[in-house]
Amino acid sequence: MLEVKSINVYHGDLQALWDVSLFVNERELVSLIGANGAGKTTIVETISGLLTPRAGSVTLDGVRLDQMPTHKVVKMGICLAPEEKGIFTGMTVLENLELGAFVPESRRIRNGTFQFVYDLFPVLEERKKQTAGTLSGGEQQMLAIGRALMSKPKLLLLDEPSLGLAPIIVKSIFGVIKQINETGVGVLLVEQNVAAALGLANRAYIVENGRIAGSGDAKGLLDDEKIRDAYLGTG
Amino acid sequence: MIELVAQTFVNGINIGALYGLVAVGLSLTFGVMKILNIAHGEFLMVGGYFGFWLFTLLGLDPLYGLPLVAVAVFLLGAGFYKLVFSGLARLHEETKVKNSLLVGFGLFLIFPQISRMLWTSDEQAITPAYSGGSFPILGVRCGYVPLCALVMAVVIILGLHLLLTKTYFGKSIRGTTENWKSAKLMGINVERTYLITFALGTALAGIAGVLVAMTQTISPDIGMSWTLKALIVVVLAGIGSVGGAFFAGIILGVVEAVSAIFIGPYTVALGLVIFLLILMFRPQGLFGKA
Repeated sequence: MLEVKSINVYHGDLQALWDVSLFVNERELVSLIGANGAGKTTIVETISGLLTPRAGSVTLDGVRLDQMPTHKVVKMGICLAPEEKGIFTGMTVLENLELGAFVPESRRIRNGTFQFVYDLFPVLEERKKQTAGTLSGGEQQMLAIGRALMSKPKLLLLDEPSLGLAPIIVKSIFGVIKQINETGVGVLLVEQNVAAALGLANRAYIVENGRIAGSGDAKGLLDDEKIRDAYLGTG
Repeated sequence: MIELVAQTFVNGINIGALYGLVAVGLSLTFGVMKILNIAHGEFLMVGGYFGFWLFTLLGLDPLYGLPLVAVAVFLLGAGFYKLVFSGLARLHEETKVKNSLLVGFGLFLIFPQISRMLWTSDEQAITPAYSGGSFPILGVRCGYVPLCALVMAVVIILGLHLLLTKTYFGKSIRGTTENWKSAKLMGINVERTYLITFALGTALAGIAGVLVAMTQTISPDIGMSWTLKALIVVVLAGIGSVGGAFFAGIILGVVEAVSAIFIGPYTVALGLVIFLLILMFRPQGLFGKA
């Protein structure tokens, strides 16, 4: 479904990604793991059109995305729930979700999508009149994911959904991510929490210093000695 | 004495509503794009002259001319956004504010010159037959035209408020104001939102220009003083609240008018004193969040 082919991406004059290639099949849950600053966020920002690669290509079902502005990429069916959540804190929960369905195609079917999101996160329905900034960190993350789902994406990009949250909340959010994936939405999950991400994903890519340093079956990686040494500290 | 104060109070509300209208446009542009358009008052001046033209050349009543002027200044604003401001949108936040000041100063130098060529330096006003009329309430005289301008301003502000809170487009403006990156990720065409918001802001200034031309006079040089008034009101209100900016405009209008009884011509400085005091003691403004 999604194919990223040898992209080079720069922040200004600084190269951030070298020859990065990856793919996500339909209905697959793929994880990008790696240390802070390795370039994971840059990868998902490039896929969503916030950054434009200087070389290489990004395609979804054969359609080139890499020269498209972000709002067109969303129309194609890719939505990113960004790092640090990026919710509209001064607007209500309901308004945040409404903006999630901004694209006309998603706007038309938003009533059904609202139900879908409220079923996944009942707390959002309880708090829909509340200003988003007054939600707890976990609830804000749920809102960020719910808002991204409102566009009815084929592929959901999640950037560090566990960031700064208590372990018990992380567990429940990861549960919902699995549920979302089981409804047929492809997921590309960026995580520093390597053990949890590998436990959830079908496949994973390891990102190191702006390059893909390895990839494979999530279960296989979880058992790999090198990975265990480098990321899980359980050598 | 009481009647004098009451009369002044009413006059203050009338002029304050115009301050509010001008300030709302400036606040909208600054909030969404983080650019400070100090040529905002120039669009007011041009709008006033457009209304004047419609009235003197075509004999069109200024109130019927208002929508036409709004559309014309909207297009003018959109054109200037494309021409000189859109390049700024991509810049880093701090550079953006500085460069927008330079661009605004440039327009501030150009606009009065052009309007001097088109309309001479003379003071002009739009004076329909009913312009001198007034009626008394409790010993206070209410002019038809100022009252009409007040009602217009209130209606426009309410309309803007409804646009921002009830429509998808308005919500996309608010979303872009808060976080443009997230707005993009929602599928909002942020560049287009910038263009329309900027044009909307200038159109509000243009409408105010017609109301100014009806209630007082216009000349090619009034732009900067209206920009200053709008700035004071925006600082007084705090960024981001349409109702707040309008209300702060009325406060400034009333304070200026009433104080004029006691301190005469120094009342203009009073606005600047308020500006400084607010920046020192309540930088988020009266209605802004800390």
